[in-house]
Amino acid sequence: MHDTKTKFETVQLTDLESMAQAERDALDFGVIGLRPDTRADIYNATEASMAGIDPSRVLGFPFFATIGQCMNNFMVAQRFEDEADLDEIVPFVLTLRMRPTRVRLRLLQARDVERRYVLVAR
Amino acid sequence: MSEEDDLISFMYACPFGLIELDASGVIGMINPHAMKHLLPLAGAQGVENFFTATEKYAPELRNFADGFAEPDGTICDGHRIVVDLGEKTREGRPQVLACSLVKRGPNQLIATLNDISAQVAQEHRMRQADTWFSALMDEINDHALLTIDGNGMMLSANSSFVRQTGYAAEEVIGQPADTIFSQADSGEQAPFSIADQLSLATRDGWYLSEGWESRANGERYWCQRLLVGRAEQGDEDNHTFSMVLRDVPEPGEKINDLIELLTRDYLTGATNRMQFQKILKRERTRYLTRRQPLSLIILDLDNFKMLNDMHGHPAGDAVLKQVARIGADCTPENAVFARLGGEEFALLVPDCPASAVIDLAETLRREIAGLQIAVPSGLINVTASLGCAEMSETDGSTDNLIAIADRRLYEAKHAGRNRVAPLAA
Repeated sequence: MHDTKTKFETVQLTDLESMAQAERDALDFGVIGLRPDTRADIYNATEASMAGIDPSRVLGFPFFATIGQCMNNFMVAQRFEDEADLDEIVPFVLTLRMRPTRVRLRLLQARDVERRYVLVAR
Repeated sequence: MSEEDDLISFMYACPFGLIELDASGVIGMINPHAMKHLLPLAGAQGVENFFTATEKYAPELRNFADGFAEPDGTICDGHRIVVDLGEKTREGRPQVLACSLVKRGPNQLIATLNDISAQVAQEHRMRQADTWFSALMDEINDHALLTIDGNGMMLSANSSFVRQTGYAAEEVIGQPADTIFSQADSGEQAPFSIADQLSLATRDGWYLSEGWESRANGERYWCQRLLVGRAEQGDEDNHTFSMVLRDVPEPGEKINDLIELLTRDYLTGATNRMQFQKILKRERTRYLTRRQPLSLIILDLDNFKMLNDMHGHPAGDAVLKQVARIGADCTPENAVFARLGGEEFALLVPDCPASAVIDLAETLRREIAGLQIAVPSGLINVTASLGCAEMSETDGSTDNLIAIADRRLYEAKHAGRNRVAPLAA
């Protein structure tokens, strides 16, 4: 795989869509994929280990109402509602294992792709 | 899955904000729901420290914690943090958070944060409905009734009115209503005159208020007043109104203390953010009905963070108190001086030409620059930057008024601080 396709800053929505689960698990940043109803259907191993939570507790649940509550404001969740095409890196603070942790989030959404992504780099 | 997994996923999903902090506010643990609320409040301040993160909206939280002498116990319970000042918000209602602080030991506090915006909006509606219904449901004999014309002239009075107020009907008929009534919301700044109340009753069909009134013998009583347009009128240009007066038990001293506590900034005694939001809303209504000028000055102390870092929070607090004293001294009648949060203050000035408001801002700037404040590390000076805006420059919303004043404040800062924008003509 070409390098830009595995980097936090440069990976494309279509790259993520075509990856197998094992490939996403091998990335060095967290990958969260959400259905249009905000239920999570991708939660890679990197993110699971950073958050200290088993993917089975995340997959299938409305992400912004449960584990992703801290993103449920105008800074993240609202942007997916407001902007049909979105590719932006925002500085953020997550509460990984209840510890405030500075991260960068990359928000990815395209009008012709159903799934939207939140990428997490520590 | 282990018990720890259970616990962590329970904390992640908890629909209530929980934060653990030390005495200085440094956050140890925080759950996602708390971060959801804290991060938008904190902005550039960062979320490492709870008191710094909430400084712009609820600076009193630090004072509450610092002033709590007991070794452990509840510092505050459900303290309200008003987030939005204006009326246009995403949820369609201003956001209000509730914060509780509990001291667990010498260096450990727990804070909770949750959103009570819906509750607050509901309370407001309930309170209005409650006053309205109690005014209607109680025995009609309790009600003094007046008929008033569109110019505020009293046309008739019933026998209950004579009993309640001690005025004879013939003393008041043909007189303007404001000769015997105080202006609505007495005790607060910027009351509504009878003419204002008639405009609002014309627009909305009714207007409710309560406050102190005097009987003919000078005795004070707490009075609820309902002003309604009369239905039977045919002449569009000649409205008449009924005013229903109800003598209710006066709010005791405890309630007055509570009112004081709920409307004043804990540290400086200036009007607090929550009360300012209410007054702003009321003044906007008045502006829309009466079209008289309404101006806002936003004042921000220069380099205040540096001052706090160099001389400590107690010195910063001493400066804030002095600035609030100057603000109070410079505040014209009917205007309101408030602490919005942190080192930011606002002066809302009704019925005053824009040029006079800029002069007022200049006076504030000069007075503050002339301050010398004694702190343990010596004498310190402080300056402020100020931005002014007038309602006629806006689209009619207070959000826009605040945004324009904020933008000018920013210009004043960029032009070198210790100045007012726009400049006096």
